[in-house]
Amino acid sequence: MNDLSIVILLAIALSGVLLWLVIPRRKSARTTAMSFPPNGNDALPTAKHFGYFPQIRQALSAADSHYLQEIAPPHVAKQALRERRAVARGFLKGLHEDFSNLARLGRIIAALSPEISRQQETERLILSLKFQILYAFVWLRLSTGNLPIEQLEHLTGLVGRLATRMDEAMAEVSALSAGHVPGGLGA
Amino acid sequence: MNHLESFLSWATLSFEIVLCGFVFSRKVQRILPFFAAYACVILTCTIGVWLTYQYFGFTSPPSYYAYWGSILLNAGARSLAIAELCQYGLRAYRGIWALAWRVLTAMSVLLFARAAMDAWGQPNKVAIYGATLDRDLSLASIVILAALLLIRAYYGLALEPLQKSIAIGICFICAVDVIGNVILRNLFTGYLFPWFLTSQKALWPALRPRIEHVVDMWSTVHLFSFMFAMGIWSFALRKPVPAPSKSPVLLPAEVYREMSPAINMRLTTFNDRLVELLKP
Repeated sequence: MNDLSIVILLAIALSGVLLWLVIPRRKSARTTAMSFPPNGNDALPTAKHFGYFPQIRQALSAADSHYLQEIAPPHVAKQALRERRAVARGFLKGLHEDFSNLARLGRIIAALSPEISRQQETERLILSLKFQILYAFVWLRLSTGNLPIEQLEHLTGLVGRLATRMDEAMAEVSALSAGHVPGGLGA
Repeated sequence: MNHLESFLSWATLSFEIVLCGFVFSRKVQRILPFFAAYACVILTCTIGVWLTYQYFGFTSPPSYYAYWGSILLNAGARSLAIAELCQYGLRAYRGIWALAWRVLTAMSVLLFARAAMDAWGQPNKVAIYGATLDRDLSLASIVILAALLLIRAYYGLALEPLQKSIAIGICFICAVDVIGNVILRNLFTGYLFPWFLTSQKALWPALRPRIEHVVDMWSTVHLFSFMFAMGIWSFALRKPVPAPSKSPVLLPAEVYREMSPAINMRLTTFNDRLVELLKP
């Protein structure tokens, strides 16, 4: 590839990135530092998907699988397994959203902080990138049937604890901001 | 100057006058003085180059130097407007700004140094030198704008509509300039290079129509891109400019000091668990 092709491709790619960045997205999906409401829990529901975990766990349990395989005709059992994987993927997506909310919370706190640590910010950026890659791998393995659905339980347990902790943290931030700033965070 | 070039020149001039009118009637100079200066530089350069064409002739050496000089002057004013966009609204977020200005300055220094070094090694011909420098400066502008928008998007600090339109317009001009300058420079340093060598004078009559055709093509594309960008800016300025948003109320520094490591630790644990999941 010569100089000409590289520069043209780079210009097109960068323009694409810029356009993607400036095109407005659905407002409901974005919480920005500028629109951060006084009650942080309303802005970033950290435990939204985890709340459904008991039902999901029941639906995806190994006992249910065995039961289906024993009593249902093979094509029905196969279809049920496919649907179970689709449900698991949907749940994984929800967990991804919970994770993103947590990372976004970190970024909003950084944006509203008078001083930030370069090391902390770099670390969070790398962690988020790493998560995206790992998530893609888990999603692929789940889709291809190479990942036992039961293993998701470990993941959701972690998110559950994390969500509880973040809800507490949000309450702390709200309390702190209310103590220092009349009108709360989003004044 | 043929009919198309003449029409485009007049159309560009009209767009520039409309843009300057909007800029000053909306008092943009109060919130974005460098962008207002950039709009003035564009108009001044167009008038200056047009007067040079009228006085000295379209194909005269002064017109040639005036054209390339105006291109570089535009690039300089555009760089200042981009620098202004970088700091606009971000300064209020003191923590982010302290990080962002260092990143953007480091990138700017590297890209401008690269542009200078690249131009330094070119044959000592204004057109080749100018095309190289303009290409590199445009590329640097796109990269810096992209970095700025990425930083803002990452931290959820969206640009206001006017600033966003200015960024889109500058990005469009720069993208067209990069592509055009690369093609132009490759032609000038390739099969049209004898045009720049006095030792190849015998080839000049044969090359003249090609040179003029290439310059005409580039000029047409350049003017169209300029008009398009000015259309975007004028459209954004059709309504009164809203008052700049109020400075955000920042959190106490200890909130970040306590929560950021905790969040990162949780994210690390989460990634570790995902890695465990993937192990056979």
